[in-house]
Amino acid sequence: MQSDPSQAGGTQAAAPAKGVANTYASWAGSTTELCELIDALRPLSAALGAPDPSATDWHGQLFGKLQAQVSREPVVVAAVCGGTNTGKSLIANTLVGAEISRSVPEAARTRHPVASLPQGLAARIDLAALFPGFTPVAWTSEKDALAVSPDETAADRLVWREDAGGRQPARLILLDTPDIDGTLRENWHRAELVRNACDVLIAVLTQQKYNDAAVRDFFSAAAAARKTVIVVFNMVDWPRQRERIGGWLATFTAETGIVPLAVYAAPHDFAKAEAGRIDFYPLPELSPGGATGPVADAGTADLAASLAHVDFDRIKLQAMAGAVEVVLDPRAGAGTWLDAFETSARDWQQAKQLLADEARVRVALPTAPRELVWNEIWNWLEPRRSTLDLTVSKVYRLAGSGVVWAARRIGVAKSEEERREDFSAVELAALKQALADFVERLEDASRRNPRLAAMLDGALVSGDRAAWYADLERRHAALPIVSEDYRTFVRGELDRFSRENPGMVRWILTGLNVGSLARPAITVGLGLAGAAVVPAAAATAGGISTLVHHVGDVVVGTAATLAGEGALGLTMAGVKPLIERLFAGWSAERSRVLAETLHGVVLGDRLEEIDRLAAAAARPEVARARRLLFELRREFFQS
Amino acid sequence: MTHDTAAHPTYDDTTFDELVEALARWSGSLPEWAPARRVRAEWEQVAPRLDRARRELSRVLVVGVIGGTGTGKSTLVNALAGGTVSAAGDVARPTTINPVVVVAKDVDCSWLPLDALQARVVRSESPAVANIVLVDCPDPDTQADAGAHAAAAGQPRPSDTNRNRDMLEAVVPACDVLLLVATAQKYRSWIVAREVAAFAPGRPLLFVQTHASRDPDIRADWRKELEGQGFVVPRIFRLDALEAASRAATGLEPEPGFRELVQAIDEELVGRAARRVRRTGAADLADWFLQQSHRDLEPLRPAVAQLAAGVTEQRTRLEGLLAKAVEAKLRASRSAWQRLITDELVDRWHGGPFAMFLHIVAAIASFWPRMRSAGGGLIGRLLAGNAIAPASGRGTWQTIEELGLGEADVEQSRSILVGLAARARLAEPLVGRARLDDERVQATVGTLLDRTAAWLSSGIDKLVAERRGRMDSPLLRIGCELLFTTLLVAVLVRAGWNFFHGHLWNGRPVEGLAFLEEAFVWVILFGLFLRWLVFARLRMGLNGDIAALVARLPAAGLVDPLLADFAEAAAKAGGFVERGEQLTRESAAFSARLAEPATGLGRLRVAAGRP
Repeated sequence: MQSDPSQAGGTQAAAPAKGVANTYASWAGSTTELCELIDALRPLSAALGAPDPSATDWHGQLFGKLQAQVSREPVVVAAVCGGTNTGKSLIANTLVGAEISRSVPEAARTRHPVASLPQGLAARIDLAALFPGFTPVAWTSEKDALAVSPDETAADRLVWREDAGGRQPARLILLDTPDIDGTLRENWHRAELVRNACDVLIAVLTQQKYNDAAVRDFFSAAAAARKTVIVVFNMVDWPRQRERIGGWLATFTAETGIVPLAVYAAPHDFAKAEAGRIDFYPLPELSPGGATGPVADAGTADLAASLAHVDFDRIKLQAMAGAVEVVLDPRAGAGTWLDAFETSARDWQQAKQLLADEARVRVALPTAPRELVWNEIWNWLEPRRSTLDLTVSKVYRLAGSGVVWAARRIGVAKSEEERREDFSAVELAALKQALADFVERLEDASRRNPRLAAMLDGALVSGDRAAWYADLERRHAALPIVSEDYRTFVRGELDRFSRENPGMVRWILTGLNVGSLARPAITVGLGLAGAAVVPAAAATAGGISTLVHHVGDVVVGTAATLAGEGALGLTMAGVKPLIERLFAGWSAERSRVLAETLHGVVLGDRLEEIDRLAAAAARPEVARARRLLFELRREFFQS
Repeated sequence: MTHDTAAHPTYDDTTFDELVEALARWSGSLPEWAPARRVRAEWEQVAPRLDRARRELSRVLVVGVIGGTGTGKSTLVNALAGGTVSAAGDVARPTTINPVVVVAKDVDCSWLPLDALQARVVRSESPAVANIVLVDCPDPDTQADAGAHAAAAGQPRPSDTNRNRDMLEAVVPACDVLLLVATAQKYRSWIVAREVAAFAPGRPLLFVQTHASRDPDIRADWRKELEGQGFVVPRIFRLDALEAASRAATGLEPEPGFRELVQAIDEELVGRAARRVRRTGAADLADWFLQQSHRDLEPLRPAVAQLAAGVTEQRTRLEGLLAKAVEAKLRASRSAWQRLITDELVDRWHGGPFAMFLHIVAAIASFWPRMRSAGGGLIGRLLAGNAIAPASGRGTWQTIEELGLGEADVEQSRSILVGLAARARLAEPLVGRARLDDERVQATVGTLLDRTAAWLSSGIDKLVAERRGRMDSPLLRIGCELLFTTLLVAVLVRAGWNFFHGHLWNGRPVEGLAFLEEAFVWVILFGLFLRWLVFARLRMGLNGDIAALVARLPAAGLVDPLLADFAEAAAKAGGFVERGEQLTRESAAFSARLAEPATGLGRLRVAAGRP
């Protein structure tokens, strides 16, 4: 090193221009909150099937650069990057002036980045925060970078040590990185994490690799984020290939958009490089940045010294601004991810709508055993008998039991027990058919909508359908023919009716005899956001009511017509809805077992999940993130 | 060539031809099944190559030189061709854009799709390429990947027009052997590894490290890397093509690495060795195809088996319902059974007082309305002795409800099977939906009715015939007649004694009609008692026989039409998977018989995975 390193480091450390750091510190609020919001939205985004942001450049710059550095001590990070076996480690060792990373003939052997820190910096900064995604590990030997740890997937390691010689500028961190084009993809990932965090890239190119797609992609992203790039053409057949380099560089800059700060050529000389001495020949004619540092007599320059001479503040600000630009990019920035997020959420809304429209089944329940509803009403009437016309009730009771008795004698009528068994079998058959119908509709819906397919195939394809039917049978068998819920519901309805129509209670009796002829049909649908219509079900259904609910189109026959409208006259108008409600309540409760089976064993939490995903676009985080992007843009252009 | 399997070429070739034809038939045998369609699609990729390998067994081999840009492919091709045939150098990357085909003067290469490949043909007199076709391929690593970084999407780049990898992927299919060139910088290139893995199946490889004069020897590490990717790597050549070319130009002795390569080409790729390479390649390719198919199909094997088991389970369930309903109906119709068993028999009993008595009772009973019979319906009609009219192919759910099979039960079974079928990726048109449409309901229910009626009526006939046989025994008949006649005779003797002995002889008054009335009642009662005894004997064990009849129901396969589509689909899919396994064994046996001696050619182990 020919320049005075202590002086160079001293000036850089002593005078970090306050204004510059303040400039990007003013973005701290927006970026920190933006990161929080995006982290909060990510699990939802994954569930939505929206693209994963973690591999995008804007995400890398936002989390790897801005969040990590915007309010920290303005150190400058410089990394040596390039393809396999291009001599990155040797160049890094030369820059540091010590063997920090072992160089071996085999390719892709540097597995972990190695950082060389200026003396005293490790105590001041939090390396884990400065290099998100890495676990910092103190350096023990130059072989650390090559080690393959057993818990390779657990965390990416970053090996660090302090510069023993004390020559490294006080605000400069130097890194050696793994390759960007080998067969081990985790190496690429680690190199990208380092690239995102750094301000200066020392791009190691060779005549074999300067135009490889993997290399171009890697450095294009650096150019987009306005990183400062120093190009080193390594393994050059010097001086034979000297005039070739201009063409190679032209291709490289045209492909990547990089404007190099300086360009060097390093000759192909293994022995010298192994000894830690690499001759860097500056190529000032190819360096529009012009910073090639002092040139020695032999035509070589000290790359480390010229690195120490660059304007750290300007480079830092440029890299930070570049990161903001990448985040704000209208074509590929954070906004596009929010767009994709909302688009996915809208797709889910459509899926939900499709499900609500299509997955709706009409259950044709058998006629209810007449005495069931009758008995409940009778129980209600019992304490009110004094206020009733006793004869009317007696006649009905007597006539009713007489008819039943006679019918049973001649074998026409079945016993109550038998009738209930018959009813139960027919009802179960109706519910089973409805279940099959439902499943078929769900299959159709998921065939039409790939998102639904992804969500429901877990249930429809891999589900154990025999268990669904077993569950339905079990629930149906466990359902008492008249439940307490229903009793409560009937009493409530009758109380209300008698309060509203004090004179019409007796008509209930007449009406009920007629009403029992009705044949109910319940439509069960996947009400994803609606409320339950039938009160009896709503009273106890809890969570299910909002998911699988009964649409209230209960058909209760044409009671009035059957009874002769003239006979009941005007009063029937008031009684009919009541009867309908009473029967509807009972039928709805019966078909609730289907809803429970659908929710309990067929679909599980999938409907809630669909509901949640359909509502994702309306999440306040999305609007807030957009607002923050807008604010960041304003702050960025103001500064 | 020390060992030559071509000693029995016709035998092996015929076997292989048969295998290829069997593969073609098998892969296209179940186009309705998605996994089988995938197998077919893979076959269509493989088939032309197999076809060509068989047809052109003795043609010269096409050797494709592949590798990353800058590794010296063109330089090596020039060295082999003995002159500059392909532009090489360090001026610009990539150097080679259109493929260059190097071929000896007298070799016909018109079968190569040169125009489609935009290839340039160069004739060479070099002995190294005298008996092969050498193709300098474009590089795989300068064309941008489809999933390239979004940041680059902004402005146009010169490389946007780079289609070298696409071109490579068009050229390599025409190659029989790959010559993979790598340098210390590029032997671990991800993109090169991906492309090689995609084209390696069925293509032997030569591995060459170039830039030997500048780069360290990385062959040991490269071998480790290649073996990790599933390659068999007998040897890696190491040479410096630039030096080889310059030595050749100045007439110097070639360097040893280059000499070894030329020698290997001569030994491994020329003449009879070419046949062997092509045959081994074809066998490898067939193995590889079957391996891929196995990978696609194997995960579905348990699902297909589950479907088959599910069909059996649901069939048993439906048969249980059917048996239960039929048994209950048959048991409930005692009087119908009795009439069925006795009516005809009574007709056949003639010529005795008891027989006469039975006729009289039957005549009287015929006035009695047939109450509490089995009612209408199929079973009622059968028990009433009516000939069953065939259901004439029409039926609705109502018509079979009396057989215990409701729409809901059938739908339940079918819905369960739809789920199991979906797991095996079996869908329409191989299997129907849970709910049968009207047309199919009529057809299947009609068949079910016909079958059940035929089965039941034959069963009932047998049961009745057996019981009639019991009654036909002369001993029973004579016993009954004797017992009945004894009483009649006793009555007559008593009456005669009273009249002749008591009245005419002793002059006692005639006992009169009172005795006869009484006796008549006793005769009738005794007759009825006898009749009851006979019928009771007939009825004895009827319930047991009905149970036995119903127990034979599963063997009749009555409910099969309701689930036939699932049973067939499971059988078809299972058969497809099985046939694939069988062909895999056959193909492996063929490859084993081919058992090539160890050569210098590398190849992809069939069991290998992709990177």
